[in-house]
Amino acid sequence: MNRSSRIVAGPLGAIVLIVVLMSLAMIVAGTSPLDGFRALFVGALGGRNEIGETLVATTALLFPALGICLAFRAGLFNIGAEGQLLIGALCAGALGAVLTVPGPIGITLMLIAGAIGGGAWGAIAGWMKARFGANEIIATLMLNFVAAAFALELVSGPLKGPLAAGAETAWLDPKYWLPALLPGTRLSIALLFALALALLLQWVFARTVFGYDLRASGEAPEAARRSGINLGRLTWLALTLSGAIAGVGGATIVSGELHRFNTQLSPGYGFTAIAVALVGDLQPLWICLAAFGFGILESGGLAMQASAQVPKDAIHVIEGLIILVLAARRYVATRVEGTLP
Amino acid sequence: MEPALTLRGIRKAFPGVVAVDGVDLDLYPGEIHALVGENGAGKSTLSAIAFGELLPDAGTVTARGTVGLVHQHFELIGRLRVWQNVLLGREPHKGWRIDEAAARAQVLAIAQRNGLPIDPNAFVDTLPIGVQQRVELLRELDRDPAVLLLDEPTAALAPAEIESFFATVVQLAARGTAIMIVTHKLQEVIAYATRVTVMRHGKVVERTLTSATSIDAIARAMVGGEVPPVAARARTELTPRLHVKDLCAGRGATQLNDFFLDVRGGEIVGIAGVEGNGQSTLADALAGLIDYTGIIERSGTMGIIPQDRQREALVMNWSLVENTLLGRQHRKAARRGLELDRVRARVDTAAICERLDVRAANFDVAVRTLSGGNQQKLVVGRALIDEPQFVLAYNPTRGVDVGAAALVQSRLMEARNRGAAVLLISFELDEILALADHVIVMYRGAVLGSFDRDAFDRAAIGRLMAGSA
Repeated sequence: MNRSSRIVAGPLGAIVLIVVLMSLAMIVAGTSPLDGFRALFVGALGGRNEIGETLVATTALLFPALGICLAFRAGLFNIGAEGQLLIGALCAGALGAVLTVPGPIGITLMLIAGAIGGGAWGAIAGWMKARFGANEIIATLMLNFVAAAFALELVSGPLKGPLAAGAETAWLDPKYWLPALLPGTRLSIALLFALALALLLQWVFARTVFGYDLRASGEAPEAARRSGINLGRLTWLALTLSGAIAGVGGATIVSGELHRFNTQLSPGYGFTAIAVALVGDLQPLWICLAAFGFGILESGGLAMQASAQVPKDAIHVIEGLIILVLAARRYVATRVEGTLP
Repeated sequence: MEPALTLRGIRKAFPGVVAVDGVDLDLYPGEIHALVGENGAGKSTLSAIAFGELLPDAGTVTARGTVGLVHQHFELIGRLRVWQNVLLGREPHKGWRIDEAAARAQVLAIAQRNGLPIDPNAFVDTLPIGVQQRVELLRELDRDPAVLLLDEPTAALAPAEIESFFATVVQLAARGTAIMIVTHKLQEVIAYATRVTVMRHGKVVERTLTSATSIDAIARAMVGGEVPPVAARARTELTPRLHVKDLCAGRGATQLNDFFLDVRGGEIVGIAGVEGNGQSTLADALAGLIDYTGIIERSGTMGIIPQDRQREALVMNWSLVENTLLGRQHRKAARRGLELDRVRARVDTAAICERLDVRAANFDVAVRTLSGGNQQKLVVGRALIDEPQFVLAYNPTRGVDVGAAALVQSRLMEARNRGAAVLLISFELDEILALADHVIVMYRGAVLGSFDRDAFDRAAIGRLMAGSA
């Protein structure tokens, strides 16, 4: 391995490279990197409200990222978290608008509805793959578009709130709002649910038989099949659970943040979450950290645009660069290992 | 006489291991030189360096003329014709177009010159293994190599094919090609090679004329001591364990046709046959992995040693501990509450490593860091740890060195002695003859003959394996 590839492959090297590339992106956008980074961090972490918004974005990314992580660990490239999240949110919003039960029960029911909706959306892809051998990448990707059109159709018509101006459901009764975690901000206790879920997944992967089967199927499908694992059933189950997790995430956005379902509720969380899951190395606890990092970019990006005149799209450029750097890192590492006997 | 290939002071290190450590080797025109050694002794690394595939850290390689290499695992394109494979990248052409007539004539000419009958127009994937190997050989011969390296060339061949293969090799050597054979079949070394070089731990430990040595002496040099004997065959009570009748499964060349078989507890039944005659279909049907018609009645627990350890038996990125659970993870005993019992798994790993002499830095390293022999021993140990009543062993010593093979065979014999029914599917006839109480010859998915131990007839079995009664 030569010197330059060794530097790229080190974690410190990756961070330095990312900062350099971000600076270049800011210079291209016509801002000094110093101003740019300052605006980014002040905008993301400069006060109670800023921190709240960053953690809101973190939460919104963390659920789909954990769902994606579960599927990827089973060797299934679920890139349909966006659609699964949307359907989960739709189910929660539709149910919440008509509920007449006590608050905590209502919230629980909404989260369950989110899980069922997202899970069903994931299950469609899982069924197509297990039954017909359909490629799950194509199936999950295409179902995103189906989900968006389906949701728009429903909230433009039958599920549209009586007083709503746009394509959205009726507002939730405040008793169905998730309690705030940081009073005065939009941050709800959904963040705690997401962190608990990460811990749970870490345990499932490392300790349980199901987690063992899941990882075996992802790492070595033929050996897994011969060890008595029903790969078809596992495919179906993994995509269902993956979708359910993203769907719960959608439900928490409805109940904790927007308090209604709106077709604009996700600015691509389900797609950015793919990067979050990969940057987190498919380890739930690292994914929490990665989600926080991307949360800073998401919420700080707006402030950067306002105060340093860096277009918000620069943030998407940066997110893309981060993925490239990490992919390159992995590629270099594989090439180096490939030379071993 | 000038050597055709000279290696001087060759050294090659990989992280954590010196694979080849200061090796000198000369190959002379007209000799058949055998390179032998245990797994991990450095044979493959040395031949890759001789071929130019790998660069040594130190030392020089001098070749007079081209060097050809025939791989252990054929590197052929099955969906192309014979001539397309032989001439790949060197096709004769007229202007922009390949001159097919000239190409076929060229392949026929090389084939005739070397006494290797072949149909240049046949598609490679329709050919039997022995003929495919002929294609590999022709591809190298077309470049008229001064040095020909053969890596485990007979691993997949039937006895008759091995004889005709060596007839060609001897003829090539007589015409002045320097030939080096990397092998672990010591009978072939003694029968055909002129000189033998033994490697151990990356160094040459013995060089001798084959006329001045013996199989035992070579094996001792490889192991660095005595080869442990295989466990003795004990008298056993026979109890029915596996009954197979009218079994049909699979399709194409490896289809099973009314296959039948009985294996009783306390005996080893060997399936002799050339690779590709339905052995894999049989193993998959017995393991419950494919659909079949007919009868498979089995009683008791089962332990399986799959054919391809890296693809079918192990998760290469996982630790030894995690891998020892594979295939055993759904048993009640593997769990404690909702969790896998990791303490138990570690104890089992220690037991397996002790019984099969698996050498690893510790139990938490990824199995991909182990040598092939240690990986195989881990797979064998795992299949036997729960003392199954039926053991399905598919090439249990493939690619394993002499010492490890003896250990694996002993463990199978011990399983038999304690009353397990053992079905041994192997492409090594010698292994079957050494271990089995009863041999069934399998040809094109059917039973072509069967022999009891007191009536073993090597020549007759070899003929049946080739399909002639």
